Amino acid sequence: MGKKLIITNNIRKLRFNMNEMTQLELAEKAGVSRQTIVALEAGKYSPSLELAFRIADAFSVPIGDVFINERKEKYYDK
Amino acid sequence: MTVKSKRTITSMLVSTILLIAYIAFALKKYSSGQESLKTWAITILIFIGITVVAQIIIQILYHIVFAIGIAVKERECNEKNIDRTISSSMVEDEMDKLISLKSTNISFIFAGIGFLAYLVLLAFGGPAVLALHILFGSFLTGVIAAGGVSVYFYERGIQNG
Repeated sequence: MGKKLIITNNIRKLRFNMNEMTQLELAEKAGVSRQTIVALEAGKYSPSLELAFRIADAFSVPIGDVFINERKEKYYDK
Repeated sequence: MTVKSKRTITSMLVSTILLIAYIAFALKKYSSGQESLKTWAITILIFIGITVVAQIIIQILYHIVFAIGIAVKERECNEKNIDRTISSSMVEDEMDKLISLKSTNISFIFAGIGFLAYLVLLAFGGPAVLALHILFGSFLTGVIAAGGVSVYFYERGIQNG
């Protein structure tokens, strides 16, 4: 079995950059509950690929700008 | 604590109170010597009906209290924003489905163990009424345990895969 991925996200930062978009607005755009956005920001939930794309669409950015594979980042830093 | 955790805890509390009430009622009835399987089956069916009705009433009350809570907390918001907050909190999304899947697994484990105990008891000539109650108790315990698991995942978080 492969090593567990450590996936972090920039949702809080992207919301701030999008004119302080509220969690409720993002939840409505992504089609999930506000609690799910709260859990995502707190790193308590890793979304499905579909939801990850929907969140990236809500910010109009590529998925890689929203979700980051920390292990991969470390690999590239070497 | 999230809205969904609170809703689950409310539901669990109702189930637990009804289970305790049933145990008290059943012990009293059992000691009075009524042991007909048919009578117990009718009693359990009535109890299930009461549980369903109680859960519906509690959920309606919970929604009303939640709506009032939002309205009080966000006094400056208009009605439309309050509606948005409530409907966004009640949406069932992929995280809810994942948690529901995990908690249902737990309730199946309880129900499975209960069913095995039921069969073993009957196989060894145990009283049918007791076997019926073991089966019923395992289902109810499973439902309460599933609620506990849901709250755990809502609070601690859950990962796909």
